[in-house]
Amino acid sequence: MHSVGPQPKLAGVGSLDRVAGTSARARRWPVARLARPSWNRTRRRVFAAFLGPSLAVLILVTILPLVFLVITSFTPLDLTNPGSLRWTGLANYRELTHDGRFWNSVWIQAQLSFWTVSLQLVVGFGIALLLNARMKLLELVRATFIVPMVLPPVVVALIWKVLFTPDISILDWALGLLGLPQPVWLVDPRFALWAIIIADVWEWFPFVMLMLLAALQMLPQEPLEAARLDGASRWQAFRYVTLPLLKPAIVVATVFRLIDSTKAFPHIFIMTGGGPGTATEVTNFYAYLEGFSYTYVGYASAIIVVMLVVTLLMSLVALRVAGWEVEVE
Amino acid sequence: MSSQRQVWTALATLLLILVVLSPALFIVQMSFRTGRDAFQMPPTLVFRVTLQNYADVLQGKFVRALTNSTVTATAATVLALVLGVPAAYALSRTRFRGAGLVSLWTLSTRMAPAIAFGIPFFLIYKHLGLIDTRLGLVIIYLTFNLSLVIWMMRAFFDALPRSLEEAAYIDGAGIVKAFSTIALPLSAPGLATTAIFTFLLSWNDFFYSLLLTRSEAVTAPVAIVNFMNYESWEWGKVAAAATMIMLPVVALSAIVRKYLVRGLTAGALKG
Repeated sequence: MHSVGPQPKLAGVGSLDRVAGTSARARRWPVARLARPSWNRTRRRVFAAFLGPSLAVLILVTILPLVFLVITSFTPLDLTNPGSLRWTGLANYRELTHDGRFWNSVWIQAQLSFWTVSLQLVVGFGIALLLNARMKLLELVRATFIVPMVLPPVVVALIWKVLFTPDISILDWALGLLGLPQPVWLVDPRFALWAIIIADVWEWFPFVMLMLLAALQMLPQEPLEAARLDGASRWQAFRYVTLPLLKPAIVVATVFRLIDSTKAFPHIFIMTGGGPGTATEVTNFYAYLEGFSYTYVGYASAIIVVMLVVTLLMSLVALRVAGWEVEVE
Repeated sequence: MSSQRQVWTALATLLLILVVLSPALFIVQMSFRTGRDAFQMPPTLVFRVTLQNYADVLQGKFVRALTNSTVTATAATVLALVLGVPAAYALSRTRFRGAGLVSLWTLSTRMAPAIAFGIPFFLIYKHLGLIDTRLGLVIIYLTFNLSLVIWMMRAFFDALPRSLEEAAYIDGAGIVKAFSTIALPLSAPGLATTAIFTFLLSWNDFFYSLLLTRSEAVTAPVAIVNFMNYESWEWGKVAAAATMIMLPVVALSAIVRKYLVRGLTAGALKG
């Protein structure tokens, strides 16, 4: 990670004395220009003009659509029936509470999130610890391990679709060679979710690994040496010195992986289509089906609003509990 | 540490790299084989390399999809930079009330699943006739690109010494002049990094293209899926198409790898 140290916010004209003497032209141009109120006014106007278009566009493309989403969630909007944009209050939300397929999708998402995040943490942290040594190959490791997470998600999904298809897959062949069972991953309800989990873990464990490796390499050496001098075993030094120092990095990595674990859409779309049955139908995917296969956009909006609120609250709580604050003035 | 042990560590590390990359390499080698040869088990390490799959793919509609991907990702990047860079500069050089809100909002939009924007944009685009247009994609890509540009560029501008711009002010330069002749050229590496990032995010998009395009403006990631369904699982061709869309990504991300984690956590990590 690249951290930029805190810099004093100069009010534009902070270090005039130092600068004024440096240029011959400066003597001809009175420094006083910068102290005039007109300069401050110009400054404010120019910066407002710099910021204005972006703010306007951000409001237009992010805030307004979300407001619109909330509005449609209060209507029975159906794509095949344009007249259906009328207010029915909380009807969609009431229906959600006893929609078995919705609750099933929440449960599938919970399993997917739990397993992907835990496995990514275990694998990522494990490899980061293994590689935390000064060695020449480290740069090569860093360069190659980013490949899974920068690949287009579609390509990741295709790769694993091939690997999980019997007969054409080297994985299937290898399992057979080892005398292990060769499940028909993507059509067997017991294995389909695991196929998605494995693909997601492969794609994103490098994120955890890179973050923790960076944190490990920036770790101060003194506390660790002091602990060893005091007779701490390797395990104790790790448990009581390294781990607490790494906590912020672990928390940030976990929260980000947790948030993004709701974004396995391309994998599910390509590998299983939510199936077999509803075995891999996460909430996100269920909302997509409701909205665009069954055309019930109003109901789909309600599902997404609930999902948005829950993810947002969960991540804010997680960050708060960890004692790490989002930069808010 | 003995030199023998160093050799073992190096070998183990190389093996680890190979294991991690093997799924991707499997697809790449598949793209150079045709027909039955592609699925011979056990796989043969030595095989007849053929470019037939690539030739087939490049004769079909996939070329148009690749063009669409290139054009939309480039346009989306330029637009986000033109809007976002001056804003980032303003945020870096002044204190605005609510500047913290911008970073909180960046974080929130990043958390939202794509479908949260997909539904309202779909409805609005239907109304405006923007479904299946490149312009439609370029606009919706601003939902994630713009705040990313602002976030990343602000950090780069924060790292520039202000004294140079102040000297320019004293020399009579205006703010726009100091920005365009001093701050902008000095942050060229940051600009390049940010541009690559936004390009990659737009290039990799699957969901918005799936939802908002039909045939004219389809981008490569969605075209592969269509292609897969219509060509009745001709895996060699699918592998060739997949290799073509992952190649630029791997090359570009190698350039920005130092900033990758920072870009992926935009809105959260300070600086």
